[in-house]
Amino acid sequence: MNLILDKIFAHTTKFIALGVLLIVAWIFTELFQQSLVSIQSSGFDFVTQTKWAPNLEKFGALPAIYGSVVSTFLAMVLAVPVAIGVAIFLSELAPAKLKSPVGVSIELLAAIPSVIYGMWGLFYFVPIIRDIVGGVGISMLSAGIVLSIMILPFMAAVTRDAMNTTPDILKESAYALGGTKWDVIKDVVMPYAKAGIIGSFILALGRAIGETMAVTFVMGNVHKISLDLTQPATSIPVTLANEFNEADTGIYYSSLFELSLLLLVISFTIISIAKFYFLRRKRLGA
Amino acid sequence: MATITQILEEKALEVKNFEFTYAGADAPSIKKLDMPIAKNSITALIGPSGCGKTTLLRSFNRIHDLYPGNKYEGEILFKDRNILTPKEDLINLRIKIGMIFQKPTAFPMSIYDNVAYGMRLQGIKNKTELEGRVEKALTDAAIWKEVKDRLKHDANGLSGGQQQRLCIARAIAVEPEVLLFDEPTSALDPISTAGIEELVVELKEKVSIIIVTHNMQQAARVSDYTGFMYLGELIELGRTEEMFVTPREKLTEEYITGKFG
Repeated sequence: MNLILDKIFAHTTKFIALGVLLIVAWIFTELFQQSLVSIQSSGFDFVTQTKWAPNLEKFGALPAIYGSVVSTFLAMVLAVPVAIGVAIFLSELAPAKLKSPVGVSIELLAAIPSVIYGMWGLFYFVPIIRDIVGGVGISMLSAGIVLSIMILPFMAAVTRDAMNTTPDILKESAYALGGTKWDVIKDVVMPYAKAGIIGSFILALGRAIGETMAVTFVMGNVHKISLDLTQPATSIPVTLANEFNEADTGIYYSSLFELSLLLLVISFTIISIAKFYFLRRKRLGA
Repeated sequence: MATITQILEEKALEVKNFEFTYAGADAPSIKKLDMPIAKNSITALIGPSGCGKTTLLRSFNRIHDLYPGNKYEGEILFKDRNILTPKEDLINLRIKIGMIFQKPTAFPMSIYDNVAYGMRLQGIKNKTELEGRVEKALTDAAIWKEVKDRLKHDANGLSGGQQQRLCIARAIAVEPEVLLFDEPTSALDPISTAGIEELVVELKEKVSIIIVTHNMQQAARVSDYTGFMYLGELIELGRTEEMFVTPREKLTEEYITGKFG
């Protein structure tokens, strides 16, 4: 009797697990099918043209791709050094009394829904940016900064966890040779945790590039490539969030689907690199 | 009172009225301990788990200071100077008093960089000097022949025994005067263990050695002096060949004959 129950349980869990695979495949095929009209009519122009004019049936997604790449890049440039600093402080420098309260608040920050970052960004952050750099405030720069603030806690927390895996005995060995705190962080902790740290950056990158709500508020949805970061811009998810309910023609609708397919492929690639290359279980020192 | 044999050699270290209390602990883990350590000899510290032998060993290079709140009292004299004062230069102290750990601790870098690490910390940049001293350290640690063709390889590719000899090479490369071994063979197979023991005996020509071990045979094989510790006190310190044959304290006798452990 128990054996049968075991089997039923095993099969149920297997079925559920396989269901996950099925859903991924389903989403992929659905997006692909819906994109077909656009793929056939626009071809490669879709990713090389800069003009996005649905009323003229011109669909050049380059500004959205550009916006996604630049806002994400900005976010990473701003967030990476701060995240490393916070992680070093928490794992190596902070006194025990500070470690846990600061650590917990960083994890809490990571749990804030992104729509809240977007609202806060629009009402309190954009005006500051406007006062400092001019323009309308709603811009690529605001999007990059809000994104960087959004991914920072996650990055800092995972980087700290990676650094914490460095065995005490390895650090002690470096101190025992006459190393200072800085020597040990630079030569032992960082190299030991390198794979985990880079993995966390790439996961954060994946989150930033797909982020919708936080940037929709502050980016502007303007399909224009501008080198001036204070100008409004758009990104793939911002376009999708803004335009689906306006998509009145089949080709417009299909173009948005192709855009989402593009985003899915980019995100999958990034996450796969992080998972398979950097976040594999690595050999344990000693 | 502990029974302590007079040390005939010059002393490398001298522990006087030493007490050690871990952060947050009510009672000291080491109580009123006096102990001379002979120069260019091997002193083994034995005793049951929790007797304080590793705690004592880790006081000699003040590695306890990495964790806040630990407290030293009394004196440990090194070259007639008490190293327990707050103004002691710990970096300098740890260059003079090196340490080998329970497990091999190769750094995540190449074999060459591992051995050169301590010298680089001291600011030695001259390539010829580094190369010469790396080769000498690896030779002295009896591992040069095995690694000379792969100095640029990741040190973590070496076997456990090789890694432990690499760690010894890394420690002797900075030319310390004292080496502390904290159960250096506890993670190794018998053949690697024999190799490390042989190496330790050879090293005493140049350095004074203190070795903590759980293995009484190991203490008997390698050491010149043996200290038996129990509940944070030194019970007996004597010449190894005498202590294992004719222990003077009843507790020592009971421990080495296996009545408790």
